Amino acid sequence: MKKFIVVQVCAFVLVSGLLGGMFAFTPVYDEVRSGIVLVLCLSCLKLEPKTIADFTFETADNQPHPEFVLENLSYGPVFLHYSGDACAGCDVMYPVILDLFFINFGKQDMFHSLVPVENSTVAYIYVNIHHTIDELRDAQPIYDKDHIGGIPMFTIVTLGYDNGIVKPNYTTLYGTLTTYGCDTDLQRLVFLQQLIRESIDMYNENKAGYPHH
Amino acid sequence: MKLQIKRLISQIILFFSANLGYPGYPGLKTGFCFPFFYCQACPAATSACPIRSLEQSVSHESFTWKLLLFPLLILGFLGVLTGRAVCSWACPIGFLQRGTGRVARKVKKFPLARKLGTYKAEKYFRFTKYVLLISLVFVTSYLIGFIFTDICPVGFLTGTIPVLILNPGKFVPNYFFPVALVIFVLFIVLIFLIERGWCRYFCPVGALLGPFNKISFLHISVDTKECVHCNVCSYECPMGIDVPNMHRDPECILCGKCVTACPNDLITFERSGR
Repeated sequence: MKKFIVVQVCAFVLVSGLLGGMFAFTPVYDEVRSGIVLVLCLSCLKLEPKTIADFTFETADNQPHPEFVLENLSYGPVFLHYSGDACAGCDVMYPVILDLFFINFGKQDMFHSLVPVENSTVAYIYVNIHHTIDELRDAQPIYDKDHIGGIPMFTIVTLGYDNGIVKPNYTTLYGTLTTYGCDTDLQRLVFLQQLIRESIDMYNENKAGYPHH
Repeated sequence: MKLQIKRLISQIILFFSANLGYPGYPGLKTGFCFPFFYCQACPAATSACPIRSLEQSVSHESFTWKLLLFPLLILGFLGVLTGRAVCSWACPIGFLQRGTGRVARKVKKFPLARKLGTYKAEKYFRFTKYVLLISLVFVTSYLIGFIFTDICPVGFLTGTIPVLILNPGKFVPNYFFPVALVIFVLFIVLIFLIERGWCRYFCPVGALLGPFNKISFLHISVDTKECVHCNVCSYECPMGIDVPNMHRDPECILCGKCVTACPNDLITFERSGR
């Protein structure tokens, strides 16, 4: 009887001590909040957002563009790829992106590359929200133009002309692009290529007026 | 106040507490994991599903110990204190099954259902939840990236359906949707046919909490010496346990129905010891 109570008390002390220590000394609470609770995996939701791939100047909630995007925009259009762990939709899109830019990196890496595309440069930034820094993770809601709050998410930031001023102009795509009529990897690739071509054309038209250029 | 009324109040309070996350009302999105089965995809959910965190911890041959330990410690903390009581006192899916259990209880009176309930293999079928936990939460997530959450009926009920209702025309089904829909329909049929059918056979969170019954401070104790084996307790038990012969059964959800039902008051909640 006494031995059993000792076992119970030991188990309780061990579990509560470890749990308390985890809250106090590790960032796991913030990781779960930002990586699981605030950003949903769309394939886990079993849904695809029905959005339009049009370019807009207004960020979600009119927040300013992050500094790292503005810096990269001086090289060319910026392609932000938001992904995550244990996300079937992200796994579908990962090889498509590798083929799109002829690049290679691990799914849990932080990856940034200036990729040559048709005599221009695209700044590609891969963000796995479960393995990244706050600056990159915090940019996700800024470009969540349709307030979906889910991954996979792709944002192309380019330059546009708005009332006499050249400003960052962007579009955001979600999920595995089936709502844009893409059911195969090839269709996804072609669709993204077209969109990137469009963003490069917009960039080339407006880059002379971009103050960071 | 009667025990079952207390339990009902607890379930209602916990249900609302789990749903304080709707943006702006009050938008409380925390970094905790629920100690029961509920989906963070629910627009109002305050915390993360523990299963999701576990899946993520072993996704694609990787290992993130923090995401593995975090839900296990939250479940372990409550498990050591109260065993599987969370299933009957806090879990919203348990609360749902409390409602559907009335229908299941009527179904139980049919001879065929009674025969199936006493079928020898039934107790082995309860191991399904452990198999599901190991295979779909850990093994397939680690090896091929397929996860339980992709086809989870609870996620479908608390995440997919509310999102579709709150955002009409904004989403379309993806490739997991048809399979998840079929599983969801089976889930609904199950909980109407078998009392606590989900908790008994399939709940992976129940599988995580069950073993804690063996060492939990709080448990159900039966005075076997005085017991006359009238079996009223077993009949009332929503988990279909042979109550007079159980001792810290991993299936017991500590709902206290047997405590209330015992005509001789021989079944009690104990706070510690064997």
